[in-house]
Amino acid sequence: MFRAGSRRTQDTGPAAEALRLVKVSKTYGTDGGAVKALDGVTLGLGRGTFTAVMGPSGSGKSTLLQCAAGLDRPDSGIVRVDGTELTGGSEAELTRFRRGRIGFVFQQYNLLDTLTVAQNTVLPLKLAGQRVDRRRAREVLTQVGLGDRLGHRPGQLSGGQRQRVAIARALVAEPRVIFADEPTGALDTRSARDVLRLLQEAVRVHGRTVVMVTHDPVAASYADAVLFLADGRLAGRMDAPNADAVAERLAHLGDDVTAGV
Amino acid sequence: MFVLAMRSVRQRPGRFLATLLSAFLGAVIVMMFNSLQDTAGQAGVDAVSHDTLSTSASVVGGYGTLLVFFAVASTLTVNVRQRTAELELLRCSGATPAQIKRMVVGEAVAVALIGAVLAIGPAMLGGRLLLDAFQDSGQVARSVDYSFGVFALDSGIAVTLLAAAGAAFLAVRRATRRREQRGRARTLLAYAALGVGGVSVLSTFAFSAKDAALMAPPAYGAILLSVGFALLAPRLLKGVLDRLELTGASGWLAVRNLRERADHLAGILMSLILFTAMATATLYMQAVESDAIEASGLTKSVDAKNLESLNLTVVGIIVVFVCIMLVNSLYAATTYRRREFGQQRLAGATPGQVLGTVGAEGLIVTVVGVSFGTVAALAGIVPFTLVRSDSVLPHQGFGIYVAVVALAVAVTLGTSLVTARRALRAPAVEAVGLAA
Repeated sequence: MFRAGSRRTQDTGPAAEALRLVKVSKTYGTDGGAVKALDGVTLGLGRGTFTAVMGPSGSGKSTLLQCAAGLDRPDSGIVRVDGTELTGGSEAELTRFRRGRIGFVFQQYNLLDTLTVAQNTVLPLKLAGQRVDRRRAREVLTQVGLGDRLGHRPGQLSGGQRQRVAIARALVAEPRVIFADEPTGALDTRSARDVLRLLQEAVRVHGRTVVMVTHDPVAASYADAVLFLADGRLAGRMDAPNADAVAERLAHLGDDVTAGV
Repeated sequence: MFVLAMRSVRQRPGRFLATLLSAFLGAVIVMMFNSLQDTAGQAGVDAVSHDTLSTSASVVGGYGTLLVFFAVASTLTVNVRQRTAELELLRCSGATPAQIKRMVVGEAVAVALIGAVLAIGPAMLGGRLLLDAFQDSGQVARSVDYSFGVFALDSGIAVTLLAAAGAAFLAVRRATRRREQRGRARTLLAYAALGVGGVSVLSTFAFSAKDAALMAPPAYGAILLSVGFALLAPRLLKGVLDRLELTGASGWLAVRNLRERADHLAGILMSLILFTAMATATLYMQAVESDAIEASGLTKSVDAKNLESLNLTVVGIIVVFVCIMLVNSLYAATTYRRREFGQQRLAGATPGQVLGTVGAEGLIVTVVGVSFGTVAALAGIVPFTLVRSDSVLPHQGFGIYVAVVALAVAVTLGTSLVTARRALRAPAVEAVGLAA
């Protein structure tokens, strides 16, 4: 099922579809207070695409990301990353599944304060027991504009710089899919723009697949397509989005759902 | 501010458990032994009994006071550090540093008072048992009646409250002061302790095997040496880490984490060093002494018996207190790292790797602490054994030492691993989201 241990799936070559969800459902709580966070979501994202997932608070955006990224297990349905189905029960199994397939960029960066920029960047490789290519790590950090900050600690960097370290960390492991959860949520507009451009570059230059959860129409406009989510269901898709159209659509998302679209 | 202090104690009794426990145990010990002073002070107590009782009372009572102070200081420092956010909030709401100080000291005194009052019953019982034991061994005459008097009660409560207030004052001052410049004073003190300790250990050779005070110089020397090492603990740890390169992701992370956290681990290392040194040195020296008396064919005098019971009691007290301090600071330090563990997991660490890192860190700290403790202990044991029995090392074998080390390892690793396991129970995403 899982390829032995932490080996990457490079040998088989990437699948055409980077991410596939089939009728994925997830309910939180029990009986009386149960909340259906995801209600039979089916979607497929091609390799080398940049997709934004949008929706109002409580629409199930974060649950979708966590289920798709193997951080949480759906109650029912199938999740397939890079052609391999996510099964397995224990956290250790899920972790081994994520290695080499999935990279993360979080709103709160989640860099380790005790490690330097360079050490943070190679940490996923270390944990996966892979050979660490320091030259490559330096290259990627230079690409994100931090070539001169290798020995700094996250505490000495600005928010934008920290987020760029997080992106470098996600890129170095060469994952099939990068999940970004509100990556610009804590940044000023200029740093946000830098981060979004880097994510775009990851897709266009490096051929990665990026899925970004956001509530910011401007951030979403950097993506190739936007998926709208409301009450745990998909509520539409917009290709080649621009910020105004996304904001407009978002404002009327509730109407669509009640109208039964 | 006092009202606020009371309220904060009432709302979170759990947080004060460790402080309460140390205050309680400290008060029990102080009252228990000081009640011997009351007993000795009664009319019609013979001179030998009086001597035994008041010596035990003053020695152990003194130790007890010191330990209450250290234990309460350690638990309160942890408590204050955990509440940095709350104290910051109070400061932003207009509380002056003096008000915050009064609040923390008020809390500590309230908790200590509860501990002291709870301690009265057990202390009376313990004191009675102690007197029975002294009478059974012939150190105190049968005719002496037990008395729990004003001195035991007053000194017990006063010592506990004063120690708690002083410790709280120091803890909050350390927390509210921005950057400490006590580095140099600390180093100076450390070298002074090492120097005096060395002289004290060497002066053992100036005594003859039969001297009654023979055990004092090596024992104090070992203690002083261990205090010196303990004060230098963060630097010693860093020195070891610089020469240590562990393979494997967990080991790699452990070394880097420890390098960053060396200063925070000072308290834990200090407890480990003091514990190993004092327990090992005292127990082996006592064993050598007992053997020497036996070999000479004499029966133990009352003085020798007093010394033995005092030694064993003091070691027992130290063991209990150090265990509380270690468990409390390790529990707090590990719980505090919940978020960090979450971040490691999100970066691709399996729960096993996180536990592996925690285990490796615990092992390194224990090995460093136990090693320096052992050096200090040997510095006391070897001269004493040479003078008393003409051999270099005691003939008792490694049994005692193995037990001491095993206890240190069990407490350190046990607490960190169990706490880390609990911290891993929440999903990684949640752990990371908790109070950034």
